[in-house]
Amino acid sequence: MNPFLAVAILVCTAGLLFVLPLLPALVELRRKSDALPLSVVQQNAGEIRHFANSFRDYIKDLEPIMQVCVAAGTSATGTLPDGEEYLVLGRLDEPLMRALAQRDATHPVVIAAGADLIAPPHSTFSRDIYAGGNFQGGEKNNYRAILGEKDVRLGASSRVMRWAHAVGEFTADLGCGLFGRISSDSLIRLHANCSFLRLNAPRIEVGHAVNREQGLPDSGFPSNAGVLPRFLHDGDFEVHAGQIIRSNMVIRGRLLLCSGARVCGSVKSLDDMVLEDDVSVEGSLIGARKLSIGPHCTIRGPVIAERELAIAAGTRCGAREHPTTVSAPSIEVEEGVLVFGTLWARERGLVVASP
Amino acid sequence: MIYVLYSIVFVICIYTGRHYWFTLNRLFGFQRHPYIDIDTADWPPVTVLVAAHNEEKVIANILDALMTVKYPVDKMLVIPVNDRSTDRTREIVDKFVEDFPGRIQPFHRVGGKGGKAAALKDAMELVTTEVILIFDADYLPGTGLIKQLVAPFFDLEVGGVMGRVVPMNVGANLLTRLLDLERSGGYQVDQQARMNLRLVPQHGGTVAGVRLSALREIGGWNENSLTEDTDLTYRLLLNGWKTVYQNRSECYEEVPEVWPVRIRQIMRWAKGHNQAMATYGFRLLLGKHRATLRERIDGTLLLGVYAMAPITLVGWALALAVFYQGVAPLHGVIAVLSLTAYAALGNLAAFFEIAAAARLDGTRKRVALLPFLILGFAVSIFSVSRAAVSQLSDLVTGAEFHWDKTERFRKVL
Repeated sequence: MNPFLAVAILVCTAGLLFVLPLLPALVELRRKSDALPLSVVQQNAGEIRHFANSFRDYIKDLEPIMQVCVAAGTSATGTLPDGEEYLVLGRLDEPLMRALAQRDATHPVVIAAGADLIAPPHSTFSRDIYAGGNFQGGEKNNYRAILGEKDVRLGASSRVMRWAHAVGEFTADLGCGLFGRISSDSLIRLHANCSFLRLNAPRIEVGHAVNREQGLPDSGFPSNAGVLPRFLHDGDFEVHAGQIIRSNMVIRGRLLLCSGARVCGSVKSLDDMVLEDDVSVEGSLIGARKLSIGPHCTIRGPVIAERELAIAAGTRCGAREHPTTVSAPSIEVEEGVLVFGTLWARERGLVVASP
Repeated sequence: MIYVLYSIVFVICIYTGRHYWFTLNRLFGFQRHPYIDIDTADWPPVTVLVAAHNEEKVIANILDALMTVKYPVDKMLVIPVNDRSTDRTREIVDKFVEDFPGRIQPFHRVGGKGGKAAALKDAMELVTTEVILIFDADYLPGTGLIKQLVAPFFDLEVGGVMGRVVPMNVGANLLTRLLDLERSGGYQVDQQARMNLRLVPQHGGTVAGVRLSALREIGGWNENSLTEDTDLTYRLLLNGWKTVYQNRSECYEEVPEVWPVRIRQIMRWAKGHNQAMATYGFRLLLGKHRATLRERIDGTLLLGVYAMAPITLVGWALALAVFYQGVAPLHGVIAVLSLTAYAALGNLAAFFEIAAAARLDGTRKRVALLPFLILGFAVSIFSVSRAAVSQLSDLVTGAEFHWDKTERFRKVL
């Protein structure tokens, strides 16, 4: 073979082999099929009521029909613009509820009631539900989503898969599973053995929460934790019973706050943290591992545990005028706990009966 | 000579291992986002500083965005830090001040030392809140971003907060697409892995926050620093404060669309980083302070990232020299292996990291551009090396650093 030809073939082959892996890149560069900026949520700020508000907008088209049905005491069925079937209920009486009254029935329609709505037990509602008045669910029901303009009450052992919002009070009876976002504009009440993920309301009562709305006694220190000095400690630390700490605390070890201890600032521990009974913290409480809050404690600021959080009966987090967030991957809350604001279990939240 | 080469290969192997460690952690490890769930709180007063030097193309966009964020209006004050602008920046800022009375307090700086740190330092006279957020003027914060960046300050160990930067002009050309991939790897994997592993997430100086008491404790902004963000990260660390990274606190930015601008930008970053390495490196690794052992090691490696470019070039040169001079043991096999080790493992680590980031971001076809990153790396390695040489020469001649503002490409509204 001609040596020049051989070299030319070698160069061409090498060039081809070099370009070959670049072909998909060249195609993508030319076509720009994935060249939009990464989708960053600019408008929805993680608002828990986002889905409820969207659903309210979604069923706006049904309002005239609901008004007619309420006035006439009738029901109506049809199809929404996106192809979803709907059932509009005018008023709560036996004939109107007949369609829903079959036990173990699945109802794949959007249900909109202009007035109060009672859902029969042992039913699965695989589309969203709107109640213009109160909503009362039977036991062992499964819901996709519920929007109630007044109170919403779920029967025992019911489940909500995506979200529920009550303009009035939201109550979940024994053993309910709340897998999505649950919110209320006034109050959420959970009974024993309920599981939950994300809850938000001005007031969240777990079981029969003791009414402890009074604020912390005046410590004589400014409530703005940022202006307090910072106490930084390497290793384990213990705050003795009844001791008052007038600073922010950062403990790079285990922390034990004994009975009746009081911290005028915020507390952070890089290891397990235990609060015994009647401890009060005016700022935030951040635990890098497991955080255990004993009975009758009062925490004003956010409560964050990076692994597990247990809250005993009688404890109050936040205040009516200072709502806060309680969050951890795994949360166990005893009946009798009161939270003002958000209670958010990333993976698993459970209400346990108080001993 | 061969021992120098061995040392370089050793250091390169450490960085390679670090890339793999971070990527595997991000793919399979426990992910830390401890503050992102704080959506309800007694939100503290916050000051938002917007650094602006000749930003007429973009300043209105960020002020518009900041006026619509979800944060108690009476608790948020925006201070546009108009640093000696000679364009319409002042006029635009003043119009916003008129339109939003009480919510924007302008700081018009007409003289003084150049650079962002110097401007921020002067603007501190207007700051009274414990929490300060900082944005460059080309950023577009979403409505929930302010709360997300403020939330970590409820943790009294936190002195600085850093959010994620997302390029918005991705599709402009090859450079912007490569920068999009680089940013993705840097934030989605690198920063978040450091957060997961309790190492040293880096403060980026924008989409970021700092605690006033921490800033005062460490002596305020360092106007002599070329990269005030890196400087801040290390001074906070040395004084017992943590910088945390919030991967879900994303904010759009504009990346350079032409290579000369990108080269100037990366050269400035390199000089600033090297400056921080010279200032804090020894003290961080061996000094008496509160950083943990893993923070000391990671912090030192982080300080050295821009020094790796000239070191790698030296390594290449040494490998070739050793090979052709025939002085290497085993007839140069080790030299060849050194070169190959870097070419294969070193490069692959960075590619692996970026590909993993693209996967985590849920993007699909843009990862096809990965081979073109060789181009970006080639430009970076020579630019960063040039910056290091120029920095050494400046040190000898006593020349002062000239601050290069990053050019904007957005159309003026």
